[in-house]
Amino acid sequence: MGAAARPGAALVMWEGNMNEHFFEDLKRVFLDNGGFTLMLKGVGNTVIIALSAVVIGVVLGSVCAIIKVSDGKSVPVKIAKAVVGVYITVIRGTPLMVQLLFTYFGVFATAMRGNPHKAILIAVLVFGVNSGAYVAEIIRSGILAVDAGQMEAGRSLGLSHRTTMLRIVLPQAVKNIIPALGNEFIMLIKDSSVASAITVVEMTKRAQSLVSKFYVALPIYAVLALLYLALTSLAAEGMKLIEKRMRRSDRR
Amino acid sequence: MIDVKDLHKSYGETEVLRGIDYTIEKGDRIVVVGPSGSGKSTFLRCLNLLETPSSGEIRFEGTLITDKKTNIDQVRRHMGMVFQQFNLFNNLNVMDNITFAPVKTGKYTREEARERALSLLRRVGLEDKADAYPSRLSGGQKQRIAIVRALAMDPDVMLFDEPTSALDPEMVGEVLDVMTDLADNGMTMVVVTHEMGFARHVGTNVLFMDEGKSLEAAPPEAFFENPQSPRLKTFLSKVLRH
Ligand SMILES: Nc1ncnc2c1ncn2[C@@H]1O[C@H](COP(=O)(O)OP(=O)(O)OP(=O)(O)O)[C@@H](O)[C@H]1O
Ligand SMILES: [Mg+2]
Repeated sequence: MGAAARPGAALVMWEGNMNEHFFEDLKRVFLDNGGFTLMLKGVGNTVIIALSAVVIGVVLGSVCAIIKVSDGKSVPVKIAKAVVGVYITVIRGTPLMVQLLFTYFGVFATAMRGNPHKAILIAVLVFGVNSGAYVAEIIRSGILAVDAGQMEAGRSLGLSHRTTMLRIVLPQAVKNIIPALGNEFIMLIKDSSVASAITVVEMTKRAQSLVSKFYVALPIYAVLALLYLALTSLAAEGMKLIEKRMRRSDRR
Repeated sequence: MIDVKDLHKSYGETEVLRGIDYTIEKGDRIVVVGPSGSGKSTFLRCLNLLETPSSGEIRFEGTLITDKKTNIDQVRRHMGMVFQQFNLFNNLNVMDNITFAPVKTGKYTREEARERALSLLRRVGLEDKADAYPSRLSGGQKQRIAIVRALAMDPDVMLFDEPTSALDPEMVGEVLDVMTDLADNGMTMVVVTHEMGFARHVGTNVLFMDEGKSLEAAPPEAFFENPQSPRLKTFLSKVLRH
């Protein structure tokens, strides 16, 4: 007999019978009571957050990295460099959880009240802006890893810093950047669980509510862990594929 | 062609160039020698402003290039440079390495640039390497391509910073041959090198640098047979012993 049928005894039953009823509970939660579909919805939100964030992060990070490595000495460039510096310092120096709480309950406390997608939109925004700071550093160090002689050779031929950067240095930096971006994406998949702090129902939050509904923890969290593992493995395989294709087209 | 006046360069506290005056005329082949750390590379790299001088003036064909208002990219299109480490563009094949700058800067059309590249490649004996990537080339081949890449801009002067120092001994000759051929065709050259044979036989003037100064300069004959300063005598006795 399941614990859900006798809620009063649930807490007592819970610990003692957890392991013995593992497969029974698994079936009960995920197959008989629609837990599987609910969990998949959570997977959807996790993937949405991670994917959108990595796209925003790459765009934002590229712009910031280009500004940071530019050789411009004009006042606007200096200001842009300072702004980017502050952005990267603040983002990397504060916890993601705090950034989420600050944005959702602070900055957007009253805005977008009626919007049912408010939480996930803000999660995407915060994760994207957060990722941008890390991606900026990934791209910047990828560029710095390219031998300085490449830039000098370009400049010695009368090419501009910009042309040499875009056509000579960056294409070589991509090789250093892609694997690190893959890691960033995997980090985002895992870190997206923090979004539950601002009421986004992603995988972890979904699992937690299943646990409190069915009074079993182990099978649900085991499934949760496996789902994360599946997502991160998929992402890792995808990155391997991309790297392999790059190596093939890389005739050096 | 190049006029250097009271050139100084410091990195922080250390003064690497301590007031250099030198004039290079069209057709000159200046060979710069001196002990390690004497500032030879720094001097050469100041000539095309890869290093920014701390003070002093450099004129190139009448233009004051140390003036901040000078468009240095324009000036560099008339000065070729060859590096010790070759610095071929690793992401481009040989043909693109050679044609990229001339086409990009509008100096030649793609067709013109390709034709010129092929004839230059023939001149250095590497016409069969047009499609190869730098990683597939030997050091000597890389350096010959690097020379061709610089020549493809049709420069008025060529700057060489120890072009043979990173090469295996058996490849030094093929690069020196190309440089000698350039010299025979009247190219103005400034060459930093430890190859005393090249200095003696190809140079029109040899410049001895020591501790950031040009200590002595003379035609090769006088330079090697009749050195004046004790520092140069010591230097020559060391490098010519073997
Ligand atoms: N970017 C730099 N920052 C600080 N010091 C530098 C820098 N570049 C060169 N130096 C110093 O300046 C001095 C002259 O360097 P330079 O490379 O011009 O010497 P060189 O005569 O070319 O020596 P070598 O024969 O070893 O190539 C050296 O003491 C070197 O350590
Ligand atoms: Mg040097």
